[in-house]
Amino acid sequence: MKKAFFLFPVLCFSVMIVAQSNVPPVDKSPLDISYYPVNYPVLKIQDKITEPLAARVMYSRPQKAGRPIFGGLVKYGELWRLGANEATEIEFFKNVHLGKKKINKGRYTLYAVANETTWTIIVNKETDTWGSFKYDAKKDVTRVVVTAQKTDTVVESMSMYFEKTTSGFNLIIAWDNIKTAVPFTF
Amino acid sequence: MKITSCCFFLVLSIIFISCNSGKDEKKENTTKKTTPDSINRILPAKPVNPYATVDISPMDMAYFPVDYPKLKMAGQLTAAKPHARVIYSRPHLEGRHIFKEVLKYGEPWRMGANESTELELYSEAVIQNKKIKAGRYILYCIPQPNEWTIVLNNNTDTWGLQQDASKDVARFTVPVKETTNSLEYYTMIFEHAEKGADLLMAWDNVEVRLPLSF
Repeated sequence: MKKAFFLFPVLCFSVMIVAQSNVPPVDKSPLDISYYPVNYPVLKIQDKITEPLAARVMYSRPQKAGRPIFGGLVKYGELWRLGANEATEIEFFKNVHLGKKKINKGRYTLYAVANETTWTIIVNKETDTWGSFKYDAKKDVTRVVVTAQKTDTVVESMSMYFEKTTSGFNLIIAWDNIKTAVPFTF
Repeated sequence: MKITSCCFFLVLSIIFISCNSGKDEKKENTTKKTTPDSINRILPAKPVNPYATVDISPMDMAYFPVDYPKLKMAGQLTAAKPHARVIYSRPHLEGRHIFKEVLKYGEPWRMGANESTELELYSEAVIQNKKIKAGRYILYCIPQPNEWTIVLNNNTDTWGLQQDASKDVARFTVPVKETTNSLEYYTMIFEHAEKGADLLMAWDNVEVRLPLSF
């Protein structure tokens, strides 16, 4: 009887854990979102919007976890998914330019090819996909080469966010000790 | 013999429990306590990130068909585009009883954290006999002990603390199912159903399903 009594909570707990296992755990590379104008959703509920919604980027954030990232985990010269899990998605709510190329408003996937001093940023039409495993260059909209700057601080979680510029906005990508700015103009 | 089998089962259970709960425990140890409605971003204990801190209620998304992006990668798609996806942030219990202590019955809840929870329909859907056009919507709910009113609203790209009911598109009442287990992280997934999908909301000891057909 005593044994059965002791076993009961153990059994219950085991069942509980089994029951939970069909729902997704919290991802170790969590999804995140950034808007331009910066913090647009917060500005919206504060009635502080001064310019219309232009862009948002949605990406999963891998961690450095002690690894050398650029030239290590992310090999120089090879296609990189610029995040983790689902392909990194950028949506433009109005037409923008990247260099001389006009990009129509809409949803796109971002990829990159990192090198030591420059990165190639790829804007591609294939959305709702996973990583860069099915990358199809025929669906590229444009490519642009940007400078890879070394930073003093080491960034643990890959970060993407927007910054205002005089003619539009930059998409900043930072991870480990590297930072790049992708200049979009209106 | 009985004692041996009892011990064996106990050891098995302990191994099972520690394997399954390890991830969540690790995460909780590194996060500070906060209220679910805090819009302050919390710096994780270890990593330095001057650009964009990792949120204590991380974002997640779910597609229908389930795992659509992975199916696309594997070349196993049966449809040219997904039917739906939901994007939401995942608050966690941290020892609280959400539906008794934190959320107030009868008051709107953003069904997540941070930015408003977003439902995108890639094609028209039918919910409780009502046609809902393809497009992006935000979701919020008004929880009651036995049922939730789930609201589709047009005020997209907003923060979840304030709802503008004048932009409501439709409201649906669905029953609440109590569960015996307690789920630490708020969870939204699509489950395959006979005529489409159920959008499942699960947290603490509560499960709610919104059936959609496509």
